Amino acid sequence: MIMDRLARALDDRLRLSPLTRRALAKVFPDHWSFMLGEIALYSLVALVLTGVFLTLFFDPSSADRVYHGSYAPLEGTTTSAAYASTMRLSWDVRAGLLIRQTHHWAALIFVAAILVHLVRIFFTGAFRKPREANWLVGVTMLMLALANGFTGYSMPDDLLSGLGLRIIVSVVESIPVVGSRLVSLGLGGEFPSDEMIPRLFVTHVLLVPAALVALVSVHLAMIVRQKHTQFPGPGRTEHNVVGSRLYPSYSLRSLALLAWVLAVLFALGGLVQINPVWLYGPFDPAQATSPAQPDWYVAWGDGALRLFPPWEIRLAGHLVPAPFFPGVVLGGVTFLALYAWPFLERWCTGDRRAHQLLDRPRDHPIRTGVGVTALTFFAVLVVAAGDDIIARLLRVPVYDVLNVLRVMVLVLPLLTGALAVLLARALRRSEATHLGDLTRADLRAARRPARADERTTADEPELPAPDRPGERIELWPDGEQWRWRYRNEPAGVAILGNRKAPTEREAADSARLAYPGVDHVMVPGPPPPPPHPVRAALRRWATTAIGASLLAAALRHRRRRRWGRNGPRPK
Amino acid sequence: MAVWTYRWRPPARAATAGAVLALAAGPAVLAAPAAVAPAPTSVAPAPTGGQDQGENLYRQNCASCHGDQGQGGPRGPSLIGVGAASVDFQVGTGRMPIPHEMQQPRRGEPAFSADEIAALVEHVTSFGGGGPAIPQVEPGSLPTGRELFAANCAPCHGGTGAGTELTNGWIAPPLYEATPVQVAEAIRVGPGLMPVFPSQVFTDQQVNDLTAYVQSLRSERLDRGGNPLGRLGPLAEGLVAWAVALGLLVAAARWLGRGAGE
Ligand code: HEC
Ligand code: HEC
Ligand code: HEM
Repeated sequence: MIMDRLARALDDRLRLSPLTRRALAKVFPDHWSFMLGEIALYSLVALVLTGVFLTLFFDPSSADRVYHGSYAPLEGTTTSAAYASTMRLSWDVRAGLLIRQTHHWAALIFVAAILVHLVRIFFTGAFRKPREANWLVGVTMLMLALANGFTGYSMPDDLLSGLGLRIIVSVVESIPVVGSRLVSLGLGGEFPSDEMIPRLFVTHVLLVPAALVALVSVHLAMIVRQKHTQFPGPGRTEHNVVGSRLYPSYSLRSLALLAWVLAVLFALGGLVQINPVWLYGPFDPAQATSPAQPDWYVAWGDGALRLFPPWEIRLAGHLVPAPFFPGVVLGGVTFLALYAWPFLERWCTGDRRAHQLLDRPRDHPIRTGVGVTALTFFAVLVVAAGDDIIARLLRVPVYDVLNVLRVMVLVLPLLTGALAVLLARALRRSEATHLGDLTRADLRAARRPARADERTTADEPELPAPDRPGERIELWPDGEQWRWRYRNEPAGVAILGNRKAPTEREAADSARLAYPGVDHVMVPGPPPPPPHPVRAALRRWATTAIGASLLAAALRHRRRRRWGRNGPRPK
Repeated sequence: MAVWTYRWRPPARAATAGAVLALAAGPAVLAAPAAVAPAPTSVAPAPTGGQDQGENLYRQNCASCHGDQGQGGPRGPSLIGVGAASVDFQVGTGRMPIPHEMQQPRRGEPAFSADEIAALVEHVTSFGGGGPAIPQVEPGSLPTGRELFAANCAPCHGGTGAGTELTNGWIAPPLYEATPVQVAEAIRVGPGLMPVFPSQVFTDQQVNDLTAYVQSLRSERLDRGGNPLGRLGPLAEGLVAWAVALGLLVAAARWLGRGAGE
């Protein structure tokens, strides 16, 4: 009741109801891959929440502090205030270690989810016109996420992260002419400068998060404005979006995902140790530890530094320091290529049309091949960052590992890329719906490049089909208003238009917009109602809650699992 | 102090591409007991006393490589002047006797009982030449030990004591199995590629401090925060983030998507 009144009061003053009604009726596609971005979004939520907690205790200063606390081996040692406060967070602040670890796990998963989301966008061609701008925003967010992960990782001033920071500094320094000036500008002095930690802190908790949140808003606003893409299927055209409404179905589903993300992150934060800075010890420029790696999302750069042969390269008579090519050039080229891809692709294919329907990866073998090549390349680089761990576990010389990886980083991407092209072509030409259904004959046929006629049919714009049998639009009055639905009897599809229209004419117009050329029929009343959406959503929500508690239980007591699954299910 | 010990479980023994391990470790692990088993029928009357027992054990198990008088030979270095600490370390950690030549003797179950090791030590030291004696370990200070460890040992054994690869397939092993005396012996003796830290470098007290810290690394108390993932660092963590966490979340998304009214 209070909510009702409040809502009415707000509406009177702000005239919110038309807006909210529109927003709540917004349709989201049901395919699971559309939720990958949300995993990233909710990890960001977790990062901000846990990060605020950490900020209350973290002391961003490199001033000397004498450590006193529960960790005996450090008692009475002089370290930086940053390190000492991280130690206090880990050993003496209640729930401090849980939050710190959750923050770090969330960072790893944040970037991983962004990457998976990007891969989905890439392979389905969702970046094509009109969504290039959102692709650019997305790539920028990936870059900011990497930057924030790295600055956060470096702030505690422990030995391991200090080694990483030193490497990054030497990469920046390797830029000809401006390198060392950039470094002293950024750090306010030589490498372990006193300004370093305060600056990292401001970047980490203020500048980059603010930019990220702003870009996330732009990203989402653009999605609302441009509407979602969707996979082709019966009833789905270039002119409509088929799926669940924002409220209640989609918002409940999305909340369930939020619960999942938080559950998994906090479970990891409590059960799996991450970045034990007490073991690494405070940073000291004279010390080293090994094996030493950065977090996975910057490990590709580290791997490239390790793999790049120690060549002395001269440009215009100047010796270019070794880290320049694997560090600066590779990183620059990577992000430039990401930014440029939608435009490169448009230039190569000459396809300037707007697309609302997605490709399946097989529909575009070359793009799929390029994507797989790039992913393999970076995967090998990440593995290369662990060369010392591999060498220790296999007990083989680290130089052998490096040499093998040097060959692999050049050969493997081409192999997997070619394989991907082959499989995509085979899938596209054969009847197979899955990789497993492919026959040898399909593969053999796929070795030939696509014929010209095939190419055009796949990309042909979808035509309105005036006489597709069995398809029709049904219109009926619903009280004062009108509704419509699309029906395709042979395919067994019935899709309800999500908004009511005040007149029959408007209903017919909006139906025509979504399904141009499909015949309209008038029906007396609504079709038999589908299961009540709220009830269906509640049921889903309940199963989700069971699922989440199951996860927690499974992590703690494996045995309880069976009990939970057989337990009674609410209706 | 709590006596929980952290036993190093080779985190990816299974995954480490069996071939290399099977070739290198297999023979060492499997063959060591066989090669060592003192033929009880022929040399049964050994238990009489330190000197005899030591000599017999030495003849049967060591002389083929190190020579009758410890003078060394083509298959093993001279043992004259290595010191009691070295013998106790090598035999006590199961490195010696090695069944055949290998690049780096591995740690394993010791082949002999404590008495037999003592007898062997006595016999080998009787070859003369001095060398470091078995250190007496006393309680030490953890903070000093931590600082000494970070400055002197972490580059090879890693700040977490998880060990690392050095060069050419030599590794600095994980430190989670060595007893306090063995740690002190390793410091004084410098086995294999490890440098020797004689008393000019570390006083006995400093050795005690180091030993105390290395022991504390074994303690599960340091694994506050959960499963340490073999203490292998960020890449192992990244693997968990992808394989476990993201895997679970993507599965959850699929499940939620399937629940939708498609
Ligand atoms: C198969 C040959 C072989 C056998 C049998 C063998 N050793 Fe060794 N031993 C070696 C080799 C080779 C080394 C050098 C190892 C290295 O480089 O780390 C060595 C090293 C040593 C060392 C360290 C020497 C130093 O310079 O610090 C000691 C002590 C030792 N052995 C004692 C023994 C004892 C005691 C036995 C008998 C129980 C024994 N070994 C059996 C081959 C052998
Ligand atoms: C140059 C690298 C290096 C440094 C520095 C080094 N070690 Fe070692 N350490 C090794 C190697 C290599 C071995 C293995 C020797 C072998 O297997 O023959 C070893 C073995 C050991 C062992 C025996 C482990 C076991 O389980 O059998 C201990 C204990 C040890 N080291 C402690 C230390 C301590 C304490 C320090 C610091 C004072 C230190 N090490 C410094 C390379 C190093
Ligand atoms: C946007 C994405 C973010 C990423 C990727 C990220 C990542 C990280 C990482 C990897 C660490 C190191 C944790 C460790 O020591 O193990 C860290 C530390 C920290 N983060 Fe973040 N973070 C993000 C956002 C934030 C926000 C929004 C805040 C504050 C409002 C914040 C506050 C902190 C603080 C205070 C620390 C230092 C405390 C410590 O290291 O224990 N972070 N961050």
